[in-house]
Amino acid sequence: MILICWGLWGQSLWAEPALQTAPAWAEVEGCATCHRFSPNQPESTAPDLFYAGNKFQQDWLVEYLQRPTVIRQAGHTRDPGFLQGQPDFTGPHPVLKPKDAATLAAALMTLKLPDLETVALATTPLSEGKKVRIKILFERDYSCIACHESYNLARQPRGGVSGPSLIDAGNRLQAEWVYLWLQQPKIFLKKGRMPVYQFDEETLLNLTRYIASHKKESGNKN
Amino acid sequence: MMALSIVLMLMSGMWACDPEPTSAPPGASAPAEPGKPSVPAQPVTRQTRDTYQFYCAQCHGLKGKGDGINARFLTVPPRDHTKTDYLETRSDAQLFDAIKLGGLAVGRAPCMPAWGHTFNDDTIRSLVRHIRELCHCEAF
Ligand code: HEC
Ligand code: HEC
Ligand code: HEC
Repeated sequence: MILICWGLWGQSLWAEPALQTAPAWAEVEGCATCHRFSPNQPESTAPDLFYAGNKFQQDWLVEYLQRPTVIRQAGHTRDPGFLQGQPDFTGPHPVLKPKDAATLAAALMTLKLPDLETVALATTPLSEGKKVRIKILFERDYSCIACHESYNLARQPRGGVSGPSLIDAGNRLQAEWVYLWLQQPKIFLKKGRMPVYQFDEETLLNLTRYIASHKKESGNKN
Repeated sequence: MMALSIVLMLMSGMWACDPEPTSAPPGASAPAEPGKPSVPAQPVTRQTRDTYQFYCAQCHGLKGKGDGINARFLTVPPRDHTKTDYLETRSDAQLFDAIKLGGLAVGRAPCMPAWGHTFNDDTIRSLVRHIRELCHCEAF
């Protein structure tokens, strides 16, 4: 495993000192060698964690840190081998003991962007008929399936790999975060490889609820 | 009833952009539109090539040969932009529309996304010119 994770102690003079470094626990645990904990740190080849508390569900984090699964089959989009299909990072992700996983998950949940808009989403689950109609938006109208793994009608994972897999998104991501990502991805990522969309409110809500319905083995958790 | 016919459509993979077998790939029968006005040329800069690499290469591949990392997961392969024979049959306006509006809007496979909210028209025109570089060809 070759690691291309540059240190995060590079200094930029204009950045605010308070935001420049990772929290002490992230340095101690080694997380900061790969992940960014502030937008002012130099970009790294692992996912940004400075908005982890907005993005993830705590239970999922606890589980992931003990039994990490592959989310980005082709590697992170900033991995130098990403477009070649030969990412430098091929795993496995560091594994933590249950107690440490719970502690770090709780610490990650405190990492939030200041002044993030609050979103109130209806919690009623989608009817099967509606799910099928949104599936068409997801696969046909907006090409999401070409870059993201989702489920086919036989509930088998299928889809492209340049974007993170969405097959467990309903357990992994907070629906409010998905909504904001689909509406204004630039809040979280200055320049991403996903096309920019301009959804109307109804489509935003529908896609968000559709993604939230993606769960591996629905029933064993939640 | 509506839901049922949609389910049947999904099962038949009529427009699916996934590895399940389809009987007739979408796009196979799309009509050409020779009457369309040509697209004003926009020069290819380093930025154009970077844009192609950053966004398009995920599917079309680093050299435009249609072999990007998503390619093997799609039923309809991303177009090989080095294929002279095919690209000679497409006008610049058709390429422009495919990029701006996406595959579905122009009778091509829906797994080609629409980029009209990502780029302005000039950038899309320069991407059309870049594809002409890749195929070393012009429209008839
Ligand atoms: C060797 C580099 C490396 C180290 C060290 C590392 N990570 Fe990661 N981490 C990654 C990569 C690469 C991914 C993306 C994996 C994937 O998508 O399959 C990832 C994914 C994650 C994710 C999921 C993020 C997402 O958006 O999907 C979390 C949460 C996470 N890491 C937390 C941690 C924590 C906490 C630590 C410290 C205990 C840590 N990581 C240490 C490289 C690392
Ligand atoms: C051309 C490929 C592509 C298409 C098409 C695409 N995405 Fe993405 N998507 C990405 C990439 C790549 C990322 C990760 C951000 C980055 O690094 O650019 C992403 C990120 C996401 C995320 C956040 C996932 C995470 O774990 O961080 C969601 C949710 C998402 N996309 C949903 C969608 C939906 C819904 C559609 C269709 C409306 C769609 N995407 C279309 C490439 C794509
Ligand atoms: C998510 C995968 C994906 C991405 C990303 C993508 N394409 Fe495509 N593209 C396709 C597929 C699949 C086809 C084949 C459609 C068909 O043949 O029906 C295609 C076809 C095309 C065509 C040919 C249309 C025709 O007339 O046959 C052009 C031009 C094109 N893409 C340009 C681009 C450009 C420029 C970009 C980057 C801005 C891009 N594509 C990004 C998947 C993609």
